[in-house]
Amino acid sequence: MIDLLPILAEPRQFVLWQRCLFAALAGASTYGFWRRFGPILGKILQSKKDPGFRLFPIGKRVRDSVWEVLLQAKVIRERPLVGFAHALVFWAFCAFALVTLNHCAAIFGLGFLDPAGRLGRCYFDFAALFAIACAAGILGLFVRRFFVRPRWLGEISWQSGVIALLIFVLMSTYLAAFFVTGPSSAVQALWWAHTLTLLAFLPLIPHTKHLHLVLSPFTVFLSRGSFAQIPPLSGDEDFGLVAGKDLTQLVSLQAYSCVECGRCMEHCPANATGKELNPKEIVLGLRGYLNEFGPQSEEPLLGKFNTQAAAFQCTTCGACEFQCPVGIEHVPIIVGLRRGAVNTGAWEDNYGSKLFLALEKGSNALGMPAAERDKFVEKNALPIFDGTQEYCLWLGCMGGYDPRGREIVLALVRVMRHLGTTFGVLRKEKCTGDPVRRLGNDLLFQQLAEANLEALAQSKTKKIITICPHCVRTIQEDWKEFGTPPEVEHHSEFLARHLPEIVAPVSRMAVVGASTPALSDPPGHSGNETIVFHDPCYLGRYRNVYDEPRQIAALAGTLVEAPRSHERSFCCGAGGGLAFLGEETGERVSQVRAAELAATGASIVAAACPFCNTMFRDALAARGEGAPELLDIVQLVARGLPTEE
Amino acid sequence: MKIVVAIKQVPDRDAPIRIAANAQWIEDRDLQWAMNEPDAYALEEGLQLKEKHGGEVIVLSAGPERVGSTIREALAKGADRAIHILADDLGARDALGVAKLLAAAIKPENPDLVLTGLQSEDLGLGQTGVILAELLGLPHATLILRVEKTDAALKVKRELEEGWFQSIEMPLPAVLTMQSGGNKLRYATLMGIKRAKTKELRAVNAAELGVESAPTATLQQISAPKKQKSTLILGGSAKEAATALVEKLKTEARVL
Repeated sequence: MIDLLPILAEPRQFVLWQRCLFAALAGASTYGFWRRFGPILGKILQSKKDPGFRLFPIGKRVRDSVWEVLLQAKVIRERPLVGFAHALVFWAFCAFALVTLNHCAAIFGLGFLDPAGRLGRCYFDFAALFAIACAAGILGLFVRRFFVRPRWLGEISWQSGVIALLIFVLMSTYLAAFFVTGPSSAVQALWWAHTLTLLAFLPLIPHTKHLHLVLSPFTVFLSRGSFAQIPPLSGDEDFGLVAGKDLTQLVSLQAYSCVECGRCMEHCPANATGKELNPKEIVLGLRGYLNEFGPQSEEPLLGKFNTQAAAFQCTTCGACEFQCPVGIEHVPIIVGLRRGAVNTGAWEDNYGSKLFLALEKGSNALGMPAAERDKFVEKNALPIFDGTQEYCLWLGCMGGYDPRGREIVLALVRVMRHLGTTFGVLRKEKCTGDPVRRLGNDLLFQQLAEANLEALAQSKTKKIITICPHCVRTIQEDWKEFGTPPEVEHHSEFLARHLPEIVAPVSRMAVVGASTPALSDPPGHSGNETIVFHDPCYLGRYRNVYDEPRQIAALAGTLVEAPRSHERSFCCGAGGGLAFLGEETGERVSQVRAAELAATGASIVAAACPFCNTMFRDALAARGEGAPELLDIVQLVARGLPTEE
Repeated sequence: MKIVVAIKQVPDRDAPIRIAANAQWIEDRDLQWAMNEPDAYALEEGLQLKEKHGGEVIVLSAGPERVGSTIREALAKGADRAIHILADDLGARDALGVAKLLAAAIKPENPDLVLTGLQSEDLGLGQTGVILAELLGLPHATLILRVEKTDAALKVKRELEEGWFQSIEMPLPAVLTMQSGGNKLRYATLMGIKRAKTKELRAVNAAELGVESAPTATLQQISAPKKQKSTLILGGSAKEAATALVEKLKTEARVL
């Protein structure tokens, strides 16, 4: 059986001058690699240590690395065809590690794989299969880059062309060696062609974006640990990313790891609506900065390479970070740049200042008197949390002060009462600090987090339920820096757990509505509803909750999906504190998304976040007649409940 | 330019106000406190003048221990140093008494300009700044929205009634009482708070300043406003109701 396998032809013997020539070229190639790579590594290592970084528990890191690097699962999942082509090249490189090692050892007579031996023959043939796949893969990637040319790949990169050519030559010279028999000059020629290509490839790696070959496995392995995690500040002189001296080792590593694939840019809502922000350019800007000024510089980061305007256009939707195949964490970088600008007072923005001043003095991001919340609580007879109820119902700024947000809260209250779940609201509540956290105001965020943590501890709250995914995220993750927050869940998770108890009344509504639409029913309200669910960024990508809200929405009609959904959901435009800032440049993110949702033909847009809700309310109203109805998932449930409780 | 900004700590707008048992002042335990808003504008004006023309901004505040937090806020926003007049009996002092305290602390500083808010958000007397000018023997102007420094003097913009403004030139040194809204306030920053820790905060006792507390005017009683709400539904046809409404707006509400 093995005798039938083709044999790789290798030169039998090398003479002294050949060995000397190879040694000299290999030395030059390694020097070429190190001359560039050494300083890069130096810049990464000279950067500041990452405060709060923990290597352990290491299990998740290993799992992520196997999944994202070895199996290339993320690359393939997010862009199957291109991802698979890339995976073929990557796997071939892995298979070739042994081949290349043997190849270089052979010239000194140290080859450990005999092409004619059992093991060698099998392995070389095994590698040959990968070589074929790799050649095909790289050809495909070449065609895409030079002929299909997607927008996010940017200008044509001749470096990439050269690299693709080198890889193709490497593979074809290897494969060709199966079709010649030695000893002959053809065998020698192929061997040297392969070797020279290899030695030319090595120094090119650190000079091009192919540096990701070396760095990205480390970048993926050394992630901060969770999605869009904002690191703590350290010491009295840390105000975020102000200058080079503030760049941490992880940020520098990530800046040099970027492979410029543009997935971040493709999915960025700011970039898609004609704004200046391009997550890729933010990362490449840091790389440019490091190359020019280095990691100890006092030169501001927002200046020559990155702009303040771009940094403050980010909605922190996290689509970039989620997509990034090389482990770059864009959200902490962009928030870091904002921290640097806000914590030092360099950011001047009328709306931003207004928000900060409102929260310095008052309790909510909307700048309303706290008495408005009291009135709402009183008018609707919401019980005050006294430690005996199961849940503390966290209203949040939107739920406590915004008319639409209040409707959502009241719908949840109806459902909880129907289910017999006990709950109470806090007498006083301050903004969780979500918008100021994402805008980079650490002083204000700390004040708000500490005040809330204290109030919750005093009230003996164990479990929080809220309608706002931003509150959920901030309470659960961001407050950890200042204490131990209570358990918190979003109402979609609560409702999904109680699905059996709410199925009956809600689907009854759907059936009754379908057969006999009553006159009293609001327009468009029938059992034949088609519902499109919009995944809020802070529920989906941030919390990995995708199915629960769909289970709820599906009770009231037939679900349809928007072209961009689940982890690819397109932001409503409100996150990152942007709901409180002024007019957008370019198109409005909310209108682009609302148009996409409306184009599904659904009669109802179901949301699960009061910020999405308020953004779409305006955007859908702007569409005029025929726009779909906009409801939170809990409102869909509540209107199916019997009116008399 | 050496600028003194006199600020007052007042109950936060969202704080629940309860009247004290003796009905002479409010219950000031468990209250949240904030910088009096017109004083915040005075501070902002002072900081902007310093940033433009150089010099020093000194904040000055009278009150008990808790006033320290408001002073630190002012230092965090950019004031260079602070004087805290420790006085637990501020409620018992009238505007003259408070102005005497402030004047005694300001005099040795010999400033070029004294800024303060036109009135406080709690008592709203609007007297302190003006009396202070008199005690210091300095010219003053009230209700100021904007201050410009010319070669040797000041050009200020005053707000008058009904949307009228007045521009006047006046000599230095001077006392100005500032109106809210003339500037954009700056937000407090982490860097400001950290830097504020190293700034000088000098505390002096009222007794050290040699100011007696016997008030010339005493507060007799305070009370919450009575709820008065009367709704009148005007009947008849739309035309009749409109006529009646116009009549009432003219004669009773006097807004037309």
